[in-house]
Amino acid sequence: MKTYINKILLLSLIFISVTSCEVQEFSDLNNAEVDAFENNLNRGDLQDLVGGILYSSRLRLGIYFDDNGIIGREYYRFSASDPRFTSDMLGKGSLILDNNTFYITAPWGSRYRTVKNANLILGFLENQDLSAQFTDQEITATKGFLKTFIGYELLLNLNLTYQNGIRVDVADENNLGPFVSYDASLSAIRDFLEEGAIDLTAGGAEFPFILSSGFNGFNTPATFLQANKAISARVAAYQGDAAAALAFLDDSFLNLSGEDLNTGIYYNFSLDQKDIVNPLFVSIDGITSANSRVVEPSFVTDAEIGDNRLSKVVELDSPLSQDGLSGNYAVFRYTSLIDDIPIIRNEELILLYAEANITVNPDEAVNALNIIRESAGLNPYTGPTDTESLIDEMLKQRRYSLYAEGHRWIDVRRYNRLDELPIARADDDVFVQFPIPLTENQ
Amino acid sequence: MMLLLFIFPAVLFAQETLTGKTINESTGVAVPFVNVIEKGTSNGTTSDLDGNFSLSVESLPTTLVFSYIGFETQERVVTQNSPINVSFIEAAASLDEVVITGLATSIKRSNSANAVASISAEELIGTTPPPTLDGAFYGKFAGAVVNANSGAPGGGLSIKLRGATSIQGNTQPLYIIDGVYVDNSSIAAGLNTVSAAASGGSASNQDNPTNRIADINPEDIANIEILKGASAAAIYGSGAAAGVVIITTKRGKAGETKFRFSQSMGWTEAINLLGVRDYTEQRVLDSFGEDDRAAFVAARDAGTLVDYEDEIYGEKGLINITNFSMSGGSEKTRFFAGVTHNDEDGIVKNTGYGKTSLRLNLDHTPTDFLKLSMSSNFINSSSDRGFFNNDNSGATIGIALTATRPWDALFPNENGIYPDHPNNSSNPLQTRDLVKNNETVNRIIMGGSANLDLYKADKSNLELILRGGLDFYGQSTRALFPKALQGQKIANGGLNGVSVQGDTQNKNYNLSAFLVHNYFTDNNLNFRTQAGITREYFDQNTELITATGLVASETNVDQAANTGTDQTRLLQENSGFFAQEEVNYKDMFIATLGVRGDKSSNNGDAKELFYYPKASLAVNLNEFEFWNEGSNWNQFKLRAAYGEAGNFPPFGALFTSYDAFSTDGVLGISLVGIRGDANLKSERQKELEFGTDVNFFSGRVGLSATYYIKTVDDLILRADLEPSTGFTRQFVNAGSLENKGIELSLDTRPVVTENFLWDLGINFFKNKSEITELRVPPFNLGAFGAGLGSFRIEEGKSATQIIGSFPEGLRVVGDAEPDFQMAFNNNLEYKNIQFSMLWQWKQGGENVNLTTLLTDLNQTSHDFDDFGVDPSGELPNGEFRPGANASVHTEDASYVRLREVGLYYTIQSETLANVLSGSIDSIKLGFSGTNLINIFDYNSFDPEVSNFGGGSIFTGVDVLPFPSSKRFLFNLSVNF
Repeated sequence: MKTYINKILLLSLIFISVTSCEVQEFSDLNNAEVDAFENNLNRGDLQDLVGGILYSSRLRLGIYFDDNGIIGREYYRFSASDPRFTSDMLGKGSLILDNNTFYITAPWGSRYRTVKNANLILGFLENQDLSAQFTDQEITATKGFLKTFIGYELLLNLNLTYQNGIRVDVADENNLGPFVSYDASLSAIRDFLEEGAIDLTAGGAEFPFILSSGFNGFNTPATFLQANKAISARVAAYQGDAAAALAFLDDSFLNLSGEDLNTGIYYNFSLDQKDIVNPLFVSIDGITSANSRVVEPSFVTDAEIGDNRLSKVVELDSPLSQDGLSGNYAVFRYTSLIDDIPIIRNEELILLYAEANITVNPDEAVNALNIIRESAGLNPYTGPTDTESLIDEMLKQRRYSLYAEGHRWIDVRRYNRLDELPIARADDDVFVQFPIPLTENQ
Repeated sequence: MMLLLFIFPAVLFAQETLTGKTINESTGVAVPFVNVIEKGTSNGTTSDLDGNFSLSVESLPTTLVFSYIGFETQERVVTQNSPINVSFIEAAASLDEVVITGLATSIKRSNSANAVASISAEELIGTTPPPTLDGAFYGKFAGAVVNANSGAPGGGLSIKLRGATSIQGNTQPLYIIDGVYVDNSSIAAGLNTVSAAASGGSASNQDNPTNRIADINPEDIANIEILKGASAAAIYGSGAAAGVVIITTKRGKAGETKFRFSQSMGWTEAINLLGVRDYTEQRVLDSFGEDDRAAFVAARDAGTLVDYEDEIYGEKGLINITNFSMSGGSEKTRFFAGVTHNDEDGIVKNTGYGKTSLRLNLDHTPTDFLKLSMSSNFINSSSDRGFFNNDNSGATIGIALTATRPWDALFPNENGIYPDHPNNSSNPLQTRDLVKNNETVNRIIMGGSANLDLYKADKSNLELILRGGLDFYGQSTRALFPKALQGQKIANGGLNGVSVQGDTQNKNYNLSAFLVHNYFTDNNLNFRTQAGITREYFDQNTELITATGLVASETNVDQAANTGTDQTRLLQENSGFFAQEEVNYKDMFIATLGVRGDKSSNNGDAKELFYYPKASLAVNLNEFEFWNEGSNWNQFKLRAAYGEAGNFPPFGALFTSYDAFSTDGVLGISLVGIRGDANLKSERQKELEFGTDVNFFSGRVGLSATYYIKTVDDLILRADLEPSTGFTRQFVNAGSLENKGIELSLDTRPVVTENFLWDLGINFFKNKSEITELRVPPFNLGAFGAGLGSFRIEEGKSATQIIGSFPEGLRVVGDAEPDFQMAFNNNLEYKNIQFSMLWQWKQGGENVNLTTLLTDLNQTSHDFDDFGVDPSGELPNGEFRPGANASVHTEDASYVRLREVGLYYTIQSETLANVLSGSIDSIKLGFSGTNLINIFDYNSFDPEVSNFGGGSIFTGVDVLPFPSSKRFLFNLSVNF
C-alpha cells in the first residue's frame, strides 16, 4: 500500500510540475484592438471604422450646443444635477470658466477623438496594400470624406477656444503640433477641407461604405462634395473672406428657392442601446426647474410680430426659475429623442450668401434676406441698406433662423458685439472664449 | 492552520512509556486532545477524550511539551517514569496561538517575525452578529481602514491595509478561505441607463453594487489572519500587494456531537437623518414663488405637511438571523456542518438582504500518515438595494428628495396612482415603491487538501501537502424601472420602461502542491524547508442586457422596443513556485528566507517570471540564558521583516482598443480613449517592518508596536494625455508611492478574580502616504473636478490629498487619510454575565461632501437659513455654499462610534441539569447592537461613505447616499 501511494504521488508531482508552468497570453477579450487593422483591412472593417466616425462626432454634442446657447444668451440651462450651467457659464459673481470642467473638457476631447479615429483610418489606408479590397478611387473618396470630417471637428473646437487657438497637427500622438492662433487655425481647417474636396472630386461614383440617413442625398463622393463646400463657405465667412465664401457656396447645395431650407446633412439619433439620443430634447411635460432649457426672455420680446420661428419655443404654464434666473418660455427646437440635429443646412447657406453679399452685392444680400423673412412669415426688409444696417439685419435673421443650433455666440463674437447680449444678474459676465483644457499642458 | 498530529506506530525501540493526564486547572475537567511532544523531536501523541495520554520515549531525562490552542503551553522535564498530571490555564493573549508563515505551514505567534493580526471566532461574532463578514473587521486590529460605501443592505465595503497600495490598481486584499482563492468582485447592475451618472465629468461605476465577500457567513469562521503588507504576503506573490486575509472555517473535533442553535431578532434604523428646512411663508415665497407659497400655507393649515426624508428613511427594518451547526466525529472522521439564514429589511421600504448559507467540512484520517480534508459552502443571497447615489437625470431617490418640499403631494391615491412630482422629474415615493434593483448570487466554494507524511524519522520528517479549491458563482442583477414611473413616461422624455438584466458566471479554481521538510538537530537548531508550486485560474463572464421601451407590464428583455447588450470577459491564469527556509535556534532566533516566482497572463509579458523575495528575523530575548525564568516579564521579542509583492495592471491597461456603437442603425467602432501599453510592468511593493512584542504577567499584559515603510515602485498611473491626441488617458509606470506608519496595540486583562474578568484591547495606528516620484505631470482624479474638490497626484504630496481651485491656482484643502485611528475593545465577565463594547475612533481625514450642495441648489437644505458657513456672516448657508470654493465642500470626517456592544447572560449546564435530561450544555441570551452610538460633526448622513465604491483609494465622496443604519438585536443561543 505504501509503495503504491509513493509511486502515485511521484507521478502526480511530475505531472503537476510539467503542466503548470505555461501561462497563456490573452489579447483584449472585450474589444477590437487598433493593431488588428494595421494589416488585412477589409471592406467590412472600413464600414465599421467609418461608422465609428458617425458615432464619435456626436459624443458630448449636447454640451457643445449648450456652451454656445448659454454663453450666447439664447437660453438658460436649469439642471438639478449640475449647478455649473447657471453659475460658471454665466459668470455669476466672480466665477470664471474653469479649464478642467466638463463644459470644455468633454466636447474638446470628443472632437479630437473623432479626429484621431479619422487619422487612424487614414493611416490604415496609407500603410498597407489594399488593391485586393478597394479600387484607388474608393480609397481616395474615403480620404476625402475623412479630411472633411477632420476639418469640421476642428472647427467646432476652435469655436469654443477662439483666440486661444487649437492644435491642428495631431496625427502623431507622440508628436503633437503646437497650438496655433485663431487665424492660422481657420486657414488650416480650410486646407483640410480643400484637400478633402480634391480627393472627393477624384473619388469616383460611390463610397465603399454606407452612411446614416442624415446623409441622404449627400452619400456619394459628388454629392458629399457639396456638403464639403458648404462647410468651407462657413469657414470663409468666419475668415471674412466674402469672395471665397461665394465661390464655395456656388459649388455647394445652396438653393435660393426658399422651399427647402432644411436640405442638408444631419446628425442622427436613435433609441438603440449603443446609440445616443438627441441631447437637447426635453419633453414639454418633463420641463421643470430640475431639467430644462429656459428661453432668454429677449428672444421672444425682440421678435417681429408674426415670426413663425417662435415655434421653436413653447410658452410655459408658469415661469420657471433657478439660481436667480427666470423665464416664461422653454426651448422646443427638437421635438423628440430621435430628432435630427443639423450639421449644416440650406437656411444657413442662404444666410451665408446674404452675409457675403453685404460687401459684394448689397441688393443680392437683401434678396437673400427676404427669402428668409418670407419663409418666416414676415414682410420684406425695408430698412437702410448701408453695411452696418445690413449686418444688423443679417445677424438678427441668423439669431432666429439658427436658434439653438450653436451659432449665436459665434456670430455676435465675430462681429464684436458681445456687449449687446443681455445680462440677467448684475455680476454676470459674457465670456469671449473657453480656456484651453488643463490637460493640454499649456 | 491545524497542527499536524504525529502518531507513531510502535516501531522504534521504546525504552520508556510515559503516561499522565491533562486537566483544566480552573474546572478540574479533563482537557482532551492535548498535543504531547518530546521537545526537539517529532515524537508525539495526543491525550484522549478523558485527558489520558501515553508516549514512548527513547530515554530519560527528557522534556515533554504540552500544548493546546487556548491554553498556555507547558513544559515538563521528566526524570523518572511516573504519571504526570498537567494542569492548564487558559491563556489571555495566547502566545502559543499559531500564525501563518509560508503557504503551507504555521508557527507559534511568539516566534512570528511579523506583526500578527488575527481575529478569533469569538472576537468576530461574539459581541453581535455583524451585517456582513467585512463589516466585522472594524476596530478589531490595527492597520486597516474599513469603509462602508453606503448604508444599503447587503454590504459594499472596502478594506485598505496600511494605507494606499495603488492608485489605479487593486487596493483590496486577497481573500483565501481554507486554501481557496475567493472572488471579491463588485459587478455593476447597469443602472447608468436611467441615472446617467457617468457623464457629467466623471466616468466610472456609480451603481453602488455589493462586493462578494459579503456572501461569506461569519458564523462559520474559526479564525481570521490578516497579512497586512508585502513583508508577510510576499509568499502570495503577484496579487498580494494589498494584503491577504486568510480565513479558516470551523472544523469538527472527535468526541460527542456538539450542536449549537442561535437565533437573533431585532431591527435596524437610520443613524442620522438631516431633517427639513425650517420653512416660513416668506422663505417659501422668496425661494419658490407665489404658487408654492399658497400650497405651503394650505398644507400647513390642513396639517398635511410631510417630512419626506423621514417617510423614506424612517422605516425600522426587521432583522432575523437563524443559525444551526453541529460538529463531532470519531478519531478517523470528523465533521462540521452548519446552516445559517439571514433575513434583513433595510431602513427604506423594499430594500433588504437575505442569505442562506450551508456548510459541510469534513476531515478524514484513513491512516496515521494521511489526512484528508474538505470544505464546502453553498450560499444563496439576494439583496435589494434601491436606487440611490449620484445621477444626472433627477431619478435617484436621493436626488429626488433634494427637490422635494413638505407641501408636495406625492402619495398615491386610492387607485395606487402616484402623482407627478411638481418640482422634479421623478417622485421618490413612486421610485421607492415601484423600482426594483436586486442582486442575487448562487455560489459554491469548495476546497480540499491532502496531507501525506512521506517520511518520518527521529530527527526529520517530510510532508507532502496537496490543495485544490474552486469558487463558482452566478450573479444575477435585475433592475426594473416600470413605465408608470414619472421619469419613464414618454411625455416626460422617458424611455417608457427600462429593464436591465445582468448575468455573471464566475469560475475560479486553484491548485497547489508543497513539500515541507523539518530537520531537528541535537543542539536545538531546527530547520524547516518548504517548496511548492501553485496555479490559479480565473474566468468571469458578465452579460448585461438593457431593454428600453417595455411592453405593458412585461419585464422580459425581449418584450421591448430596444435592446442593447454588453459583454465583458475576464480570463486570468497564474502559475508560480515558492520556496522558503526557516531556521529556529532554541526559539531564541527565528530567521526566515524565502522567494516566490510568478507568471501571470495579466502581466504585460505573460512569459516573464517575476521574483518576490522575503526575509525576516525574530529574536525572543526572553528565551536567552540571561533571562530570568521566573520574572514577570515573559516575552520581549524584537522583529524585522522585509518582503516584496506585486499588483497587476488594471483591467484593459495593456490594450488600445475600439468599442462598438451604432448610429441610426449603422454599426461603428470608435476609440475607447485609453492608450494602453503592452509592455506595462506590474507594480512592485517593497515593505520593511520593524517591531517588538512584549508580554508581562503570563500574558496579562501584552504590547505590540510596529513601524513599517511600504514603497510601491513602477506605480501604474492613468495619466492624462493631451486630449488632442484623441486619447484622454494612458497607463504608464510612472512613479513611486510610499506609506509609512505605526501600529500599536495593547492587550491586557487588568482584572482577574474568581468571579470577575476584564479584558481590554486597545489599538492605535497611523499612516501617511506620499507620492515620492512622479514622472508625468501632476493630475487630478476622482470626485467631480477641482472646482468642487478633487484628488490630485503630485510628487512630494500625500496620495490622498484633496485640492480645490482658487483664483490664485490650486490649493490643498484636505486629505482623505485619517490622522489616526484607535479602537477600544472591552470584555467584562462577572459570573455568568458578559458585557462587551467595541469603540472605534477615527480622527481626521476629510470627505468631499456634495450632498448639501445639491440640496442648496434646490433650496431645500435643512440648514439653508442658518448662518455659520459664510466667514463674513452675510449669507445664509444655503446661499453661500453653491458659489463657494472647494474648501467649503471639504469636511472633517472624524467619528467616534460604539461599533459593537453586547450584554449576555449564560445559563450553565448545572442549572439546566433537569432540562431535557441535562443534554443542554448552556444557554446564552442577551441583547446586542451595532453602531448604537455615533458621534460626529458632519453635515450629511454619515462621514463613512463612498459614492464611487471601494475599488480605489478615493473613498469619502458624499453624493446623497443611502443613509447608514444601526442595529438592535436580541440573541439567544443554545449549545447542546
